[in-house]
Amino acid sequence: MAPHFGLPEFGFLLRGLQWTVLLTLVAFVGGCTAGLAIALLRTCGHKGVEWITRIYIGIFQGTPLLLQLFVVYYGLALTGLKLDAFVAVAIGFTVNASAFLGEIWRGAIQAVPRGQTEAAMALGLHYSSRMRDIVMPQAIRISLPATIGYLVQLIKGTSLAAIVGFIELARAGQIVSNQTFQPLLVFGVVGAMYFILCWPLSWWGSRMEARLALASQR
Amino acid sequence: MQDQILIEMKGVQKWYGGYQALRDVDLTVRRGEKIVLCGPSGSGKSTLIRCINRLEPIQQGSIVVNGHRLDGSIKAIDVVRQDVGMVFQSFNLFPHMTVLQNCMLAPIRARRIGKTDAEATARKYLERVRIGDQAEKYPAQLSGGQQQRVAIARALCVQPKVMLFDEPTSALDPEMVKEVLDTMIGLANDGMTMICVTHEMGFARQVADRVIFMAEGQIIEEGAPEAFFRNPQHARTRQFLGEILAHH
Repeated sequence: MAPHFGLPEFGFLLRGLQWTVLLTLVAFVGGCTAGLAIALLRTCGHKGVEWITRIYIGIFQGTPLLLQLFVVYYGLALTGLKLDAFVAVAIGFTVNASAFLGEIWRGAIQAVPRGQTEAAMALGLHYSSRMRDIVMPQAIRISLPATIGYLVQLIKGTSLAAIVGFIELARAGQIVSNQTFQPLLVFGVVGAMYFILCWPLSWWGSRMEARLALASQR
Repeated sequence: MQDQILIEMKGVQKWYGGYQALRDVDLTVRRGEKIVLCGPSGSGKSTLIRCINRLEPIQQGSIVVNGHRLDGSIKAIDVVRQDVGMVFQSFNLFPHMTVLQNCMLAPIRARRIGKTDAEATARKYLERVRIGDQAEKYPAQLSGGQQQRVAIARALCVQPKVMLFDEPTSALDPEMVKEVLDTMIGLANDGMTMICVTHEMGFARQVADRVIFMAEGQIIEEGAPEAFFRNPQHARTRQFLGEILAHH
């Protein structure tokens, strides 16, 4: 006799949701940190360094995320480094996010008018001050809609972590569905949870975009 | 005599790839001198002043500013930029900072001056360009003429020895040109050394000690404004003046 979808099942989904949120946060914070470094290196003006970061971005944008997760989880295990499933997917998502965010911010940095950097140089400001005080504050504003858009993709993308046995929201839904034989109800609840997470972010992102468009008209 | 010379450019050559932007340029600027650079677009006049504060590197020749030779080292660039203020055609104010913050940033970051002193200096120069009451506003809230006057104040806050103006009125609506020119005339009367790339020939007549005409990356002709305008020596200069004065 299969159990019905009740409170315990709902609690199980909630724990899956927790892991989804945690994985997203780790990947986003880690990805932001590494992505900032990538973006700065990608625009540093040194040809060799720019090439290396370009290849880095190319590799992680040009291969399936699934494959990258496999490499971190199973590939590293072959070399004797056995990682916990959460650690493995966290590393995989962080590295992947760093490439995407690095590329988004590279574009934003280059979208700040050249005259801003020139004025800063003419005033005698050094690279660190030029970036911190002049370029990045403007680049972050420019990149905000795209960054939020990427965050939404990341939340939904974490369902791929199920492939290496990590139980996040989508995987939890699958398990509960298999136990209760109520897939429509279970996946309806799972979908609603993703929606509650993502929709406010999407809304915020498009509002931000509209405000930026307005500001640039002035 | 040597102290009288603020800027000395000798045999300066500059290429953008295969295109030669400056051909064997020699220019000496004395302290307190006001120079107007004119010439058709693409003649290298903007490039020339952008070499003085090393926004553009040169391939050959030498540039000495206030006794410091621009040899490409970061230290030399630093020292020279402290002595050279620049005003751009497109203002290039920092849009995310207030007028006051725009003026305080460089003194605090590059000259390591305390906040209180930096603010006092900033307010002093904002008053001087007659825009002190707009200090708390953001650039986008100001007219083009006001923005350009803020840009002048911002450059002055670093207390430069020479001011470079790169077509400072070209992006302005006609009714705002005068307020910016008046500010520049005030600055000239106070004894500031100035090199101005501009087509404002009235301004040149009024304040310039020397007018320099450039074409195709070379200095073609130079002279005191009266002689320069009344009796240009080269056909190229006469043609240019004919074109530009026809509009006025």
